[in-house]
Amino acid sequence: MSANFVRLAATLLPALVAPGLVRAQATYGQEATAVPPTTILGFADVNYLETERDVEEGFVLGQLAGHVTSGLTERLTFFGEVSATARPDQYRIEVERMILRWDFNDQLKLSGGRYHTPVSYWNTAFHHGLWLQTTVSRPEMIKFGSRVLPVHFVGILVEGGFPLAPLGIGYAAGVGNGRGDEISRGGDAGDANQHRSVLATIHARPPEIFGLQFGAAAYVDKARAEDGFDVDERIFSAHVALTRERPEVIAEYARIRHEPETNDESTDTDAWYLQAAYRLPSPADALKPYVRAERIAVPGADPLFSPFDLDYEGFLVGVRYDFAPLAALKLEYRSEEFAGDERENSLWAQVAFTFGEH
Amino acid sequence: MAAAAAAPSSAAGQDATSAIAIVTNPRTVTSDLSFLELRKIFLGEKQFWDDNSRIVLLVRAPVARERDVVLTKIYRMGEAEFQQYWIAKVFRAEVSSKPKIVYSGDMTRELVTALPGAIGFLPADEVGPGMKVLRINGKLPGETGYPLQ
Repeated sequence: MSANFVRLAATLLPALVAPGLVRAQATYGQEATAVPPTTILGFADVNYLETERDVEEGFVLGQLAGHVTSGLTERLTFFGEVSATARPDQYRIEVERMILRWDFNDQLKLSGGRYHTPVSYWNTAFHHGLWLQTTVSRPEMIKFGSRVLPVHFVGILVEGGFPLAPLGIGYAAGVGNGRGDEISRGGDAGDANQHRSVLATIHARPPEIFGLQFGAAAYVDKARAEDGFDVDERIFSAHVALTRERPEVIAEYARIRHEPETNDESTDTDAWYLQAAYRLPSPADALKPYVRAERIAVPGADPLFSPFDLDYEGFLVGVRYDFAPLAALKLEYRSEEFAGDERENSLWAQVAFTFGEH
Repeated sequence: MAAAAAAPSSAAGQDATSAIAIVTNPRTVTSDLSFLELRKIFLGEKQFWDDNSRIVLLVRAPVARERDVVLTKIYRMGEAEFQQYWIAKVFRAEVSSKPKIVYSGDMTRELVTALPGAIGFLPADEVGPGMKVLRINGKLPGETGYPLQ
C-alpha cells in the first residue's frame, strides 16, 4: 500500500466518519459518545422493630445511600458512594466508597481509593443497597461496623476477568492500610501501624449456569489490639452464590487467624452463614420467602476479638414483597443469641427502595 | 471502510424479516460471535473488543419486539430482573455504565454507525447501510440455525 494512499485515507477517513458522529451528537446529545455518562443512584430504607433485645424499638430510619458513577474518559471512571445513618444524636455521614479506576481491558483494571473489602462476597455484592439484598439486614459477620471482617479497605487494587474462559475466572489483588485503630474501620487517614494489608481473591462465574459464582479470598494484615500489642491477622474466606430468583442460595465461610506478637498461641475464629430464598411462581411472583442461619465462634483467648463479645448464633425467616418495581417490603422474624446469652426474638419490617437514573 | 454484510437471505429456509440482527460499527474488528460471546457482551461481562477498544452496548427501550426477543433469548430475563441486573451491575462498579438506551431504529442506526465500538440490534429488515451485521454461531439472520428468530 503506497504512502500516498495511506496519507489520503488518513485525511479522508475522519471526514467520512465525523459528519455521522456530529449529526448523531446533534440529535442524541450525550448518548453519542463512548465516555460513560454520569449515573446517580440512591438507596434508602425505613424500618420498624419489636424485640426482646436491650435496644430501642419502634421506627428506625435506615441509611440513605447515594452512589455516583462518572466516566472521565472512555477508560477512566470514578465510583463514589456516600451514606447518611441516623444516630441517637446526629446523622453520621460516611464516604463508603471512593474509587478511581483505569480499565486497560477486560483482564486488567487498576484502581485506587476506598473500597468495600473484597474478602466477603456479600460485602461486594450488596454494599449499602438494602433494596438489592433479599433480607432486612446483612449477616452479622459482615454487618456495617463489623469487627469480625474488615468491611472497608483503603489502598490500590488490580482486578480483571476472563469472561470467555471455561469457568469465567475473575481475580483481584490489592495492598492497603488494613484495619484502623478502631478495628471496625479501615485506615482512612493512614495506616494505623505502618504494616500494609494485602489481599487476593479469585472467583468463577461458569457461563453455563447464569447467576452462579463461587470463589475464595485471602487477606493478611497486622492489627492493633486493645492492649496496644500488634496481632498478625490472616483471613481465609470462601463463598458460593446462586443469585437467580428460583432459587437464591448464598453461603460464605471465613476463618480469621490471630497470632499475637507476644508469641502466644494463635487462635482461629470461624464465621459462616447460609441463606436460601425462592421467588414464588406467578401470580404470587411478587413474594420471595427466605431463611438464613449464621454463626460466629470466637475463642476466648483471641487477642483481637476477645474484648468485644462477638460470639453469635442466629436464625431468621422472612418474606420479601416487591410491591413496586423499585421498592420492597420485607417482614422478618429473628431468633438470636449474642455472646452466649439467652436467645432473643425480634420482628422486623422494612421498606427498602432505590431511586435515580434507572 | 467495511461495508455492511449482505442483506439477510430468506432463501436458506427461515423468514429473515422476523430475525433480529446484531449490528456493530463497521470499524469493529469482529465479524462473527459465538452465542456465548454475544451473551457475555450483552450481560456486561465482556466490555472490550479483541483489539481492546471499549464495547458500547445499545439496548432498545420498551416496547419493541426486538427488545422482547433479546430479553428472552440473550438475557433470559423479564423486564424487572433486567432492570435489577443493571442497577446491581453499576452499583457494584462491575461496569462503568449501563447500556445506552435507544428509542427507535433510526437512533440505533445513527449511533451504531457513528460510535466506534457500538453494538446494537435491529429487526433484520431494518438494517441500513454503513453498519456491520454479525454472524452468530456462524449464521446470518434468516439462515437455518440463527439463534435470534
